[in-house]
Parts: sequence; C-alpha cells; structure tokens
Amino acid sequence: MKNAKPNSRRNFLLAAGLGTAGAAAAVATATRGVKGAKGAAADDTATGYRDSEHIRKYYKTTQV
Amino acid sequence: MSVAAPSRVQMHRPLAPEDQARADFYALLARLLRGAADDALLASIAASGEFPSDGDPALARAWNALVSAASVMDADAATEEYQHVFEGMGAAEVSIYSAFYIGATAVDHPRVKLLGDLADLGLARRETVVEPDDHWAALLDVMRVLVAGGAGRSPAAVAEQRRFYQSHLAPGLAAFFKATQDAPSANFYRKVADLGLAFEALETEAFHLD
Repeated sequence: MKNAKPNSRRNFLLAAGLGTAGAAAAVATATRGVKGAKGAAADDTATGYRDSEHIRKYYKTTQV
Repeated sequence: MSVAAPSRVQMHRPLAPEDQARADFYALLARLLRGAADDALLASIAASGEFPSDGDPALARAWNALVSAASVMDADAATEEYQHVFEGMGAAEVSIYSAFYIGATAVDHPRVKLLGDLADLGLARRETVVEPDDHWAALLDVMRVLVAGGAGRSPAAVAEQRRFYQSHLAPGLAAFFKATQDAPSANFYRKVADLGLAFEALETEAFHLD
C-alpha cells in the first residue's frame, strides 16, 4: 500500500500493543517522586527541560 | 464510582492510551540512561506486568526480558555496570552522547543545531542539569515532554514530535543501543538496549505513517 490511510499511524501503534501496554510501560511514571530515587523524574518539572516563560504564555494563547 | 475533582480545569484532552504508553517508554528509557537504576526502580520494573502478547513481538520480548532481569538485579550491581558501560571520560565502553553517533565536527557540531531547536520548542535547560544537551537521557526526555506535555504545556502535534525525533534521535539512537548491546560489561543494560532498540524501531516506523 503506497499511501497510508489516515489514522494508520494510530492503528500501527495500537497493533503494536501500545494501547494496552499501559500498566507495563508506566514504570518510570509510577516511580516518580519515590523518595531517594535520585535522578528519577520526580514530577513534570524534574525533567531536564522546562518551558520558558514566553512559550508558556504563547501556549496559553493558542489553546482553547 | 468516583467523582472528578471540579477544581482542576482540563486544558486539553487526556492522552490517548498509545501516546501515554509512548511517553512512558520515553520516560523509562530516559530514567534508565540518566543514571544507574536504584532499588526502587528495579523493584517497580520487576513487579510490572508482561507486555500484551498480541503486541509487537520484539518489544514484547525485550520488555519481558527486562522485567526478568530487573528481578535479579540490585542497585549495587546496576551502579557498577552503569559506570563501566557509560561513565568516565575516555573510559566508558559506550558514549552516551548523541553527537558521537552523528559525527561531530568542530564547526557544525550537532549540539549547535540541537540548542537552536530546543529554543524554538521553548525548552530550556534547568539550571541544575549538568549533562550536555545531547545526552541520550535528555533527548528521550524531550520526546516525553513533546508526546505527553507537562509543566503547563500541551502535547506537541505529531508533526512537531516527528521533526524533533528525525532531527535528533533517529540519526544515532539505534547505533547507540547497538553499541550498548555489544559493550563487554553490559548485562542488565543489554536488556535495556534491547528494549530501546525495539521501541526505536517502532517509533521510527510510526513516524513514517500519518
């Protein structure tokens, strides 16, 4: 098939088991905030990156 | 039956389950590469369920093997192995920086383009982060934020995820995981690399679809 149908990406990911892998894949998320888990992402702000202020404002203006 | 807390305004729709799983895989791989696995993380992995048996065979196999490996691993062993494989200037068996796999030149170093792209995405380093931006853990974490959103931002459109992935992860991620598979000291981290490679293959293929 040459042209992928709309949503073929989603179907592909679902067929790969990602739609039902939830509990299995959530490990890192589940261990976030675990005390003493140094280096683990403790929350969203613990990622190595954060939104800069101007882009946060920009996103606010674009989402409704 | 539970009642949703009324105080929290939902700014965007909840993530589709497959995107949540993608974000979780990115988060887990980032965590596993950022530093040695501690006992809490190993215990969580060991206690995880099997991957759906009707899913991607390579990813399922790699996931289930990692779960088994985590159950017989302890933090001390993980630390020692992580140090041998990834740490030490010139002493590491495997470079954990993407520039190594892309072919860095002094003038047009990939980090230069990466910093520009991160700025365009509105992502800046936290002051406490000491790793260079092209550490694989950092790049995987960027993907997590793009897929799932976080810290006040919505998930990025697939086109934006694709652009970052194809510019900064696709060029070297598979080579990095293959190098890790071949590292003499790798044992637990070979399982991590197996998982990473299976997930990378899946993401690469998915990004070719609309």
